[in-house]
Amino acid sequence: MPAVQETIDQVRSIDVDQYKYGFETLIESDLAPKGLNEDIIRFISAKKEEPEWMTQWRLKAFERWKSMEEPTWARVNYPKIDFQDLHYYAAPKNQTGPKSLDEVDPELLRTYEKLGIPLREQEILAGVRKQGEPSTLDENPSDNVYSSGRVAVDAVFDSVSVVTTFKKELAKAGVIFCSISEAIREHPELVQKYLGSVVPVSDNFYATLNSAVFTDGSFVYVPKGVRCPMELSTYFRINEKNTGQFERTLIIADEGAYVSYLEGCTAPQRDENQLHAAVVELIALDDAEIKYSTVQNWYPGDSQGKGGIYNFVTKRGDCRGRNSKISWTQVETGSAITWKYPSCILRGDNSRGEFYSIAVSNGHQQIDSGTKMLHLGKNTSSRIISKGISAGNSQNTYRGQVSAHRKAANARNFTQCDSLLIGNDCGAHTVPYIEAKNATAQFEHEATTSKISEDQLFYVMQRGIPEEEAIALIVNGFVKDVIQELPMEFAVEAQKLIGISLEGSVG
Amino acid sequence: MNLHAQTTRTAAEAALIDSFAARISDLPGDAETTVHRDDALELLKAGLPTRRVEAWHYTDLRRLLSTVPAYRFESSAAQVAPLIDRAELLPVLNGAANTQRGGISGVAVSRLADRLIEGDLTSKLGVADPYDTVAAINAAFVSDGYCLEIEDGAQIDRPVEFQNVHAGGQVHSRFAVKAGAGSKATIVERQTGSEEALVSSVSHLDVAEGAEVLWIVLQEQPDTVSHLAQFTATLGKDAKLTLFIMNAGGKLVRQEVRVTADGEGSSFRLRGVNLLAGETHCDVTMVLDHLAPDTFSTETIRNIVTGKAEGVFQGQIRVARDAQKTDAKMACNTLLLSDEGSFSAKPELEIFADDVACGHGATVTEIEADHLFYLMARGIDEKTARGLLVKAFLAEVIEELEDEAVIEALEKKLDAWFVEHG
Amino acid sequence: MLEIKNLHARIAEDGTEIIRGLNLSVKAGEVAAIMGPNGSGKSTLSYILAGREDYEVTEGDILFNGQSILEMDPAERAATGIFLAFQYPMEIPGVATMEFLKTAINAQRKARGEEELKIPDLLKRVRSAADELEMDMNMLKRPLNVGFSGGEKKRAEILQMKLLEPKLCMLDETDSGLDIDALKIVADGVNALRSPDRAVVVITHYQRLLDYIVPDTVHVLYRGQIIKSGSKDLALDLEKNGYAGVIGEAA
Repeated sequence: MPAVQETIDQVRSIDVDQYKYGFETLIESDLAPKGLNEDIIRFISAKKEEPEWMTQWRLKAFERWKSMEEPTWARVNYPKIDFQDLHYYAAPKNQTGPKSLDEVDPELLRTYEKLGIPLREQEILAGVRKQGEPSTLDENPSDNVYSSGRVAVDAVFDSVSVVTTFKKELAKAGVIFCSISEAIREHPELVQKYLGSVVPVSDNFYATLNSAVFTDGSFVYVPKGVRCPMELSTYFRINEKNTGQFERTLIIADEGAYVSYLEGCTAPQRDENQLHAAVVELIALDDAEIKYSTVQNWYPGDSQGKGGIYNFVTKRGDCRGRNSKISWTQVETGSAITWKYPSCILRGDNSRGEFYSIAVSNGHQQIDSGTKMLHLGKNTSSRIISKGISAGNSQNTYRGQVSAHRKAANARNFTQCDSLLIGNDCGAHTVPYIEAKNATAQFEHEATTSKISEDQLFYVMQRGIPEEEAIALIVNGFVKDVIQELPMEFAVEAQKLIGISLEGSVG
Repeated sequence: MNLHAQTTRTAAEAALIDSFAARISDLPGDAETTVHRDDALELLKAGLPTRRVEAWHYTDLRRLLSTVPAYRFESSAAQVAPLIDRAELLPVLNGAANTQRGGISGVAVSRLADRLIEGDLTSKLGVADPYDTVAAINAAFVSDGYCLEIEDGAQIDRPVEFQNVHAGGQVHSRFAVKAGAGSKATIVERQTGSEEALVSSVSHLDVAEGAEVLWIVLQEQPDTVSHLAQFTATLGKDAKLTLFIMNAGGKLVRQEVRVTADGEGSSFRLRGVNLLAGETHCDVTMVLDHLAPDTFSTETIRNIVTGKAEGVFQGQIRVARDAQKTDAKMACNTLLLSDEGSFSAKPELEIFADDVACGHGATVTEIEADHLFYLMARGIDEKTARGLLVKAFLAEVIEELEDEAVIEALEKKLDAWFVEHG
Repeated sequence: MLEIKNLHARIAEDGTEIIRGLNLSVKAGEVAAIMGPNGSGKSTLSYILAGREDYEVTEGDILFNGQSILEMDPAERAATGIFLAFQYPMEIPGVATMEFLKTAINAQRKARGEEELKIPDLLKRVRSAADELEMDMNMLKRPLNVGFSGGEKKRAEILQMKLLEPKLCMLDETDSGLDIDALKIVADGVNALRSPDRAVVVITHYQRLLDYIVPDTVHVLYRGQIIKSGSKDLALDLEKNGYAGVIGEAA
């Protein structure tokens, strides 16, 4: 049995009831048949009502992808993926999940409870129902078809009214914030100009695949001189959003603009898509700044290492203008496999790139993540703070590249890369690539690997803090430098999440 | 599987294969040796590694090894003055070890060629992996060298100096040393010559329980030489090894270091000074395996890059699950003194044991402006001040070696290099 | 309150026996001083009482309010009311002192089935305790013990003790590294905690601290045993004549 199918089955086995197959014709179906070919790509493009140039763009990517090979250099092991054994398009309404919360993995529910997510919201996250559908928790759903879903979301995110208010406010500022599909239709000039300009169609195996088949994602354009009046979050798009397998995000900060974008959810989302290959492109023009924060907590697989998401992401920011700045902050605790290197191309003179990362692995998770800071312009600077925590049987690798090209006079980098090991069955690895071709470059790299000291643990426990909580406390101290880079509301949740992720790591 | 399998051979690849056909009948060794040589050739036939092979990421051997000169048996090489005056010399001249030599008290010395013929060294001719190209080239072509066996408890006062000297062409030598339990010795490995050449040199060192060895590699090839070297060592219980490497020449240099700390309580120190000038491409690649508990290692590499030189340091520290309480610290510091030069570092940690303290640091910088200003404020002109600071940066590493005579000799080499490359 | 019966304990890793048949009893309301020369096992005893895993109890028992605590882990012991002020408090990078206090107080309350303390309540308590110890509240924003001077660390220990309101306070060489003013403040803090339902065990090498925290009983620990017990005068005697006499007597 091909690997992908196997894992999908495993994910399903905890989620019980599954996809119904049997769509005969492409045009009327909402679930494309398995496999990838030109027809499927045209189908996706047609479903999204895309202009011809977009269809051609996808087809070109597909053509290229066919001749590419999956990369093997990362320190991750997984059975070979059969790319013809996947569905590349599935509209939300045809996904059927568990019928009620009773059928959902109790571990997942326990986590929701710890994060303080209301029951009705849990239903949505666990895939029992979609936004707008009646809750199974209501006794008489037919009386109350749409309200309960909104109530749940309103309680957490204050959704619909808030979204409307936000949209108005954003429009007033001239900020465009919509789905990528909408942007392709409504703002083709911007999309054509910037899409694929940071991550070229042929960049790497997964990015090329994404270019051919992406179905969802966000688009942000902040015009000249505008400071986006609020933090943009995928939370606010929860109505429109169905976490896609192949997300595509494009964010442009025009001259002097500023935007902070939050991606992710602190609750592990039930997700039937085993393979995720997202592409995120950021473009900062002169004097612009983009701050991109991610909390990723997808299903990591069960305690035996079965199931779980394969997360192969290409994220890259282009500091295209002078004095521009791009900052990536990530908290990675989910997924069975994470392959992710949010990078900065420091092209503009005086531009600055930052990468702050916390990667927590437990169970049988494998993380190979880091960044690339490519110094091309003059007086560019970059800063990398990476904190890796390995527990259980997991493998956690930091892989990062810092390079200064010939003309990158006065390039500066500081890298601090610390690993913490909890238990003796996991691994922590550090693979930095430091490349200088300019005499005025100054690169500093430091890395450490250690464990939580017995002395510290004893001290904390002596104050009455139980072992797991004590470890979470010490670990949260260890990652503090990165946590404080997160927006406030994310920071609190991220800390909780790290504690939850490490549960069961003490034996 | 060979990722770099090529359909067309480069001139160098072809030359290597042709050389083998021409040389094999004259190379020493028993039947098993020949089998190893053939195996090694097979590996070379698959093609030289490119940058797509992780271990060769910064040294694309297929591209950089552009020519392999023919053997030049007619020219003669002469031994050079020892690094340290009172050393016992064991020269290999143009690939042949000296048959006339005095004995060294406490040490059994034999010719490598003899040992290959006797067949008791063949196991060493294997390769570790498909990209163990340096070992493979050497295994295919090795002609001579020395084997030393230091008696248990022997304290060898005078340094023993191997000299691998060529006068152009191809030279493939090997040195094997067994330091018996509780013994103590200083070994110097000189790599030098004249004229264009391909040199491969492999050294094996076994440090038995409680033994202590200082091994100095001094590479001073002309800038027309491709120098491929490998140093491997295993450390027994409580064994101590200090390896000092100075690279001060060559056109294409790859110096590999593979150390296995498999004895509990053993310790390893690597100190390196790489002086890069002209169009040298110099790569020092270390793989250190901590296999036993309570092992200790520190690595300090200092580099200066001038001209159009390219420098590389790859250091991989691997800590196995059983190697609890490992303490490993690695540092690689580079002064990049030219806009046309480059330096790449890949200091890796691969850790499977949880009770460890491991770290590495890497810097690429210019001369500290404050220091320069300070010296200039004391009336020293800029050029002199820079020279002083650069030399101090390198001398710091040399001065960590406790032996005064060794420090003095190496600092002299350092000065000589600066006079030549000022 | 605390009853140690024929306690034998050794270092788990190499089996070295440190405590060799120790008997000690401390009543509620009592302040007991444990004195002894360096290496007699004073700090080890405090670690064993607090439940450090590096030591193995091979014989005997430790009863706290009549219950054996040997099977409890350090956090459980702390929740029953055992507090150890460390000789060398650990630095916990990245964890703000305030955050730590909140976590510890609430963990103990939770273990005892009490409700969590609300932030304003907590702040009020911390502020008043910090004032008494003449500590700057700004210090509590810093990571726990990181970059604290020796004196600041000791004060932070007493601050924790005040806030956690333990039943048994153990002070391990709390006077080391303190100047006389700081010593007085710390001693005042401890004295304020003296009450009929609380016991204090002061572990010290010198008499100095006992001028400020006056003990009810003094016990001399030597080679893992209590070799002599007496009143506060015993401490004065030791200060004057040294340990040699007492040790000689016992031998």
